[in-house]
Amino acid sequence: MSDTGLELTETEGLAAEHALGVLTASERAQAERRMASEPAFAQAVDDWRRRIAPLAAEVAPVQPSNEVWPRIERALPVNDNNPQLARRLAFWRSATVGAMGLAAASLMVAVYLGNRPPVVIPAQAPAVMPMLNASLNTEGGQPLFVASYDPVRQALIITSLVPPGTDPLHVHQVWLIPPEDGVPRSLGMVEPGTAKTVPLDASISDLAHEGTEIAVSVEPLGGSTQAGPSGPVAAIGALGQI
Amino acid sequence: MPAVTADDLSALMSRVAVGDREALRQLYQATSSKLFGVCLRILSDKDESEDVLQEVYVTIWRRADRFDPARASVMTWISTIARNRAIDRLRARGPLARADQIDDMEIADEAPSATALLESAEQVGALQRCLAELDDRTETAIRTAFFEGVTYEALAQRLDTPLGTVKSWIRRGLMKLKGCLEP
Repeated sequence: MSDTGLELTETEGLAAEHALGVLTASERAQAERRMASEPAFAQAVDDWRRRIAPLAAEVAPVQPSNEVWPRIERALPVNDNNPQLARRLAFWRSATVGAMGLAAASLMVAVYLGNRPPVVIPAQAPAVMPMLNASLNTEGGQPLFVASYDPVRQALIITSLVPPGTDPLHVHQVWLIPPEDGVPRSLGMVEPGTAKTVPLDASISDLAHEGTEIAVSVEPLGGSTQAGPSGPVAAIGALGQI
Repeated sequence: MPAVTADDLSALMSRVAVGDREALRQLYQATSSKLFGVCLRILSDKDESEDVLQEVYVTIWRRADRFDPARASVMTWISTIARNRAIDRLRARGPLARADQIDDMEIADEAPSATALLESAEQVGALQRCLAELDDRTETAIRTAFFEGVTYEALAQRLDTPLGTVKSWIRRGLMKLKGCLEP
């Protein structure tokens, strides 16, 4: 790679200088363009970066102000519009959550319905109160949860199609998001592979109607650290009559 | 916070690569003071350094899938991003930015502190040993260039030495460094 003499070749010298950071703005831009078009040069720059980077160990750490992290979080791409969402969920998909899982979940809902005491609707019933259902899908259309709202019991039944034991370092937090104000209300956690019935307070059950969205976010153990979801929204769906 | 090792950082990076925000937050907690130190050393301006720090972690988030653990450690990769961003910002002030020595910016030459756990102690030691084998003025020139991100021109002015001479010191010094690191 290098000459037999005491000098680096012109190419490697430039790579080393770029890695060290002694070039002017225009020279830097030129070096970056060359890296993009010439893999051998890019490799040489990378090698030099690797050689000198350990020197950073000598730099004394300094605490940045507390405002920096929230700024970073706000600057990250929004999950719902992010084409990478599908990739993010690859670890769940790899566990083959598919039609089988959905069928099983539907079955669980059906079993639940089957076990309920028959609801006798009196003739003068103010309104029919059908169950409302939602399939909570990823952006790519993959169902990860099924939710049903039972207006009689004023409870939401949430079923996780995520294989049990998935990602033990995170929890899945359920949110109810009414179209009235769009503000997420936490309904607690649901464990992968389980179903759970969440009784809703009157104030919240009033908000559970057709069009209300149910979402699940991936959160640190203990749940979201803020009023709304703090982690990525994994799946979302609107309640409706199926 | 418990000591974070290079292996912990690798595990965090693989989670960041699949879009795990919590992993990015943990990576930030473990490494932001080091990267902020790197930026501050180059820019010697707190607000500008915080702007750069923000760009650095957003860049890490966007490019995490390109991180290749076979080619670089996490600290090498992210500290390189931090240095590059800070140097780009410094260049916006012109080629002679920081051509004057700043008194309280003595070049650190301390033993790696506890945070050096983030980087392989072996690699840090090897680099320090090889730098020490260079003659003093060359070692000073290379260290100043690395820590403060200044141009050859600014370095020449600061060392009160002709530009061509400084270039030659650094190029020869880097070649010896390579020979020492990879005999």
